[in-house]
Amino acid sequence: MKRRDSIKTIILSSIGASLTLEGCISPLNENVSEKIWEYRYGRTPYEKERDKKFLNAQFFNKSELRTIERIANIIIPPNEFGNINDAGVVEMIEFIAKDWSTPAHNNYGENVLRKGLIVLDNLFENKFNNKLTDCSDDQIKSIFDIISYNDGIEENLKEAASFFATYRYMVVTGWFTSEVGMRDLGYKGNIPNVWDGVPEDVLKDHDVSYDEEWIAKCIDQSKRNETAVWDEEGNLLT
Amino acid sequence: MEIKKSKEKYDVIIVGSGAAGGITTKILTDAGLKVALIEAGPYFDPADPEQQTQFKPTWASPRRGSSVTRRFGDFHMSYGDWKVDGEPYSSKEDTDFMWWRSRMLGGRTNHWGRIASRLGPKDFKCKDFYDLDENWPITYEDIKPYYDKLDKLIGVFGTKENLPNDPDGFFLPPPKPRLHELYYIKGAKKSGINVIPSRLSVLTKRINNQRGICMFCGQCERSCSVYACFSSSSSLVIPSLKGGLVDLYTDSMVRKVNTDNNGIATGVSFINKKNGKEYSIKSKVIVLGASSCSSARILLNSKSNEHPNGLGNSSGLIGKYLQDTVGTSKQIFVPELMNRKTYNEDGVGGAHVYTPWWLHDKKLDFPIGYHIETSYRNLGMPQFGIGGYIPNDFNKFFGLRVGGYGEQIRKDVKKYWGSTIALESRGGAIPDINNYCEIDENKKDKYGIPVLKFNYKWADTEYNQAKHAQDIYEELAHNMNGIMIGDKPGKDQNYGISTPGSIIHEVGTTRMGNNPNTSVVNKYERLHDVDNVYVVDAGPFVFKGDKNPTWTIMALAWRTSDHIISELKKQNL
Repeated sequence: MKRRDSIKTIILSSIGASLTLEGCISPLNENVSEKIWEYRYGRTPYEKERDKKFLNAQFFNKSELRTIERIANIIIPPNEFGNINDAGVVEMIEFIAKDWSTPAHNNYGENVLRKGLIVLDNLFENKFNNKLTDCSDDQIKSIFDIISYNDGIEENLKEAASFFATYRYMVVTGWFTSEVGMRDLGYKGNIPNVWDGVPEDVLKDHDVSYDEEWIAKCIDQSKRNETAVWDEEGNLLT
Repeated sequence: MEIKKSKEKYDVIIVGSGAAGGITTKILTDAGLKVALIEAGPYFDPADPEQQTQFKPTWASPRRGSSVTRRFGDFHMSYGDWKVDGEPYSSKEDTDFMWWRSRMLGGRTNHWGRIASRLGPKDFKCKDFYDLDENWPITYEDIKPYYDKLDKLIGVFGTKENLPNDPDGFFLPPPKPRLHELYYIKGAKKSGINVIPSRLSVLTKRINNQRGICMFCGQCERSCSVYACFSSSSSLVIPSLKGGLVDLYTDSMVRKVNTDNNGIATGVSFINKKNGKEYSIKSKVIVLGASSCSSARILLNSKSNEHPNGLGNSSGLIGKYLQDTVGTSKQIFVPELMNRKTYNEDGVGGAHVYTPWWLHDKKLDFPIGYHIETSYRNLGMPQFGIGGYIPNDFNKFFGLRVGGYGEQIRKDVKKYWGSTIALESRGGAIPDINNYCEIDENKKDKYGIPVLKFNYKWADTEYNQAKHAQDIYEELAHNMNGIMIGDKPGKDQNYGISTPGSIIHEVGTTRMGNNPNTSVVNKYERLHDVDNVYVVDAGPFVFKGDKNPTWTIMALAWRTSDHIISELKKQNL
């Protein structure tokens, strides 16, 4: 694809809000009452407690989880980098169902994620007389081929299309924010390194270059460890 | 409530451990003074593995970094945001104000953008140059030596540019621009708009043996575990604690400054958040660095027979002249940035380039200019929401179908990843006595302390400034062969102007001046009404132009600290 063409309009949605938890989330009835803390990163005591509570509670039942897994595998099929389970996509959606079960999120778990599964399941029930999980891949794709596009959606499929878009958003996010998904994407950072500019071949490909006068003022990375000393006019001497 | 009194008397009590409190603590304890430092939040050290979020991958978060408990995402290093549990505030009828608080050692310096700009000579002479009501009582020349000392002590990268109102300093060398920044430079050039290397408080080069050098993870907002970017916690307070002259009180909310029968300040009362008990401690001098609005709140809540309107408020001006930065932003889709070859482009945690205000001599329908900042995480670590709600929505620009699933969606996410540039204007606000915060007599926070009520409206000329910025974005989008995403906000959308407070640059609530009738503190940030109380945060700002306030807060606080040391030596306090 050439780096030139023309365009129109769009709005990127963003999500954010916070409030206290509310709702109908049942604690796990398993003997192991505390899920091992696999998520290790700086949390405040309040945040830690909140997360622990959700990690030790269950929102979706097993059948719902199987449905999510099936949908996810079709939205982002496995490739050489891994699959939906490797990416923890279903766990993420299960967590978010609880995390967003607040009035601020309009009880997103119940009103959107669970309701979405019901709407999608009904669609397959009506069309194939089967639950989504009992349909073949071809059957599922024949429906997704319709409801996954914005254009030409019939009125009676609009709700299903909107819930499909929600699950696609969750699955795409879950995949590309996972270890395997980031490898798939080609993200190469989050490690200590020394930035020394855009690679030469990339500059060439994009037909841009560094201005010599500009670059002359930039950090000489071979001298980064020498302590800075200036003259009285503020000229760096080291 | 039981009130516990400490017998010990400090030389100085400092309220707040952010930019202002941090530098004041360092300068005063270096001079051998005994200091009590009071912080409303917990102890925080970015090097503490229990608190660290730097270098944690997105999948370490069960919510993949989404912003449920932290407004700017799960890894962002601010305990508290525009909402703090149990600490409400309100706005008057048809106005809206957003008030950010970071309750932690180091305060907001743990998460700030590290933009370390100096106010220029014109910003101090704002009455003369911008036709505002007052000039600062000090000039750029008065404060320049302190900016210089700060540059050397704390570190800032940048370049000498000899611009009329963006003074140069003692700079470390900047990092090279990223790819999309080269597109921005090229696009700006076509319109004759200047672009220069950013000026950020990030160590691209060693300045001492206490702090590390930038590892280019692009995560300054998570606070740096090797102290390569400046935070008051890592770079000022924690080193100062080692000297043994600081008693640090964390989780302590100051209720008021106490005064004696002569109206002289004797110390402060605070509530220990852990046990709910109130304590009072004494000192010769009290320094407020709690942030512009928090310090105003403390003073207004410090009423006594001698100071019936609140401490230092004989002018009635505490809380008045509140200013935030005027902002408006736009995302631009640049098709030439599609299908990028990926490589590690994290860089520092901020844009490597920016546009300082460039139309000084042009007659416009607004008096004060703005600078333009650009996005920087274009190839950054994916966070919750990557790809947007509809990952290939940009397809519509090419007449392609929008939507789908499977391999096609996977390909489209990769195709569009890193192809947008966000532009954000940051402009000067007009000091206005009608923009203010005051005590809401009917409401208390969970510690029983009366809370703030805000009243803030943008002026017509500030809307004009935002309109001008949007026009420039359109021009720049065109120059980059790109397109603005979403409609260009017109008059009906107020040109996309930011909600007051949302840029998190509140200044001006304890105005500096020579005349006690028209200002709250003198040119050394000392209350006109009370000799031994100082305000060292952004409260004393008369005006800040388009500049980010942190560097000026610290330069002024350093100057005030020198003044306090000298006054104590002369036994004037």
